[in-house]
Amino acid sequence: MSTKGHWSARARRVATGAALYLGAVAVGLGSAWWVLKKASWLNPSVEVGAWRANMHAGSQDAGLYTRATIAVNALLALGRDETMYFVATRDDAGQTLRAQCNYRITGVPPQARWWSITAYAQDLFLFDAPNGHYSLNGTTAVLDAAGRFSLSTGPVEQTGTFWLPTPGTGALILTLRLYNPAPSLQAAPQSLVAPAVQQLGSCT
Amino acid sequence: MNSFTDSQRLWFYRVLSLLVTALLVHVAAVWAAPRAIMYVLIHGPTAQKMNMRNQAAFPEAVTARSRTVVMPSPDMLYSVCAFDLRDGPVRVQAAPALTNYWSIALYAANSDNFFVRNDRQSQGRPVDLWLVAPSPDKPQKPVPPGSEVVVSPSSTGFLLMRVLTTDYQTEKAVLEPARRTLQCSQV
Repeated sequence: MSTKGHWSARARRVATGAALYLGAVAVGLGSAWWVLKKASWLNPSVEVGAWRANMHAGSQDAGLYTRATIAVNALLALGRDETMYFVATRDDAGQTLRAQCNYRITGVPPQARWWSITAYAQDLFLFDAPNGHYSLNGTTAVLDAAGRFSLSTGPVEQTGTFWLPTPGTGALILTLRLYNPAPSLQAAPQSLVAPAVQQLGSCT
Repeated sequence: MNSFTDSQRLWFYRVLSLLVTALLVHVAAVWAAPRAIMYVLIHGPTAQKMNMRNQAAFPEAVTARSRTVVMPSPDMLYSVCAFDLRDGPVRVQAAPALTNYWSIALYAANSDNFFVRNDRQSQGRPVDLWLVAPSPDKPQKPVPPGSEVVVSPSSTGFLLMRVLTTDYQTEKAVLEPARRTLQCSQV
């Protein structure tokens, strides 16, 4: 092989090696992003109805993946003795919540000093609600004769319930926050009487 | 008997090293993510604009325009301070005197919530914390009388004060002076 050919082959090998290592770095970064954004099942959590909670959120006991997942998706969370966070991304039928669909959420006030249910868009920020309603909470909730609250989310206001507008398309994320939860609930999060999340009508 | 050719052996090591590289990058990225996010929160443009280094800052009430930290609670009025203990302790004081929920939470540089004090725990008494680094480089100043010493796991971190508000416009006259009792200063 000529000197020129030798250097050409060597350059090709170096370029191929560099491309492969860059690919490996991309796979490493991409898999990390996927795990933190999409693979919540990797984190130890409690599921109650449509709601899921990570009991190590904000805790110094959090593992590598839990700490990173919370930082990416719910930065500055408090530990569960102060606040418990339950998140719903699916309805009771297991269908992914979508901003363009209408839902009714009903339940009894959880065992906590104060609570709230907030609707978030896919980017994890609040919807631009024209009526300024971003959440229903322990102060604003009106209970019926059976002691149950009711709210609706979606692009269309539902009569008879507190409406959280969710303009636009994309995922809908509901967060139930329990401030100063009862010790019994902290000890057994699965004992939460989970608010029902039901789709209203059809949605395409 | 060795049945592998030199070329096959070379490719085996190449694939192995690529897999190890991908795995190391993956673990490093997951480890670094909370630290990088906290670094931006503590040192980033918003922190600089709000001048919150060892100083309390008071962001506006949360609305759909609030896009600094994901999942902001619309029911909480936030006050913040990015603490830096490298030059000495930081004293945190607050006396919100509110009957509704409020809390002061401290977060380490890796995003862990290592301390929280709420209205019930404070039992109407002012909060007075003497926040010190895990292993201070310089001789420590004496703790002021009445201050509670809190050792931070990291030399930088973030303070987040939450004050419950269900109707900010109606409650503004009470809540704003209450939250502005927060002081965060290097003594």
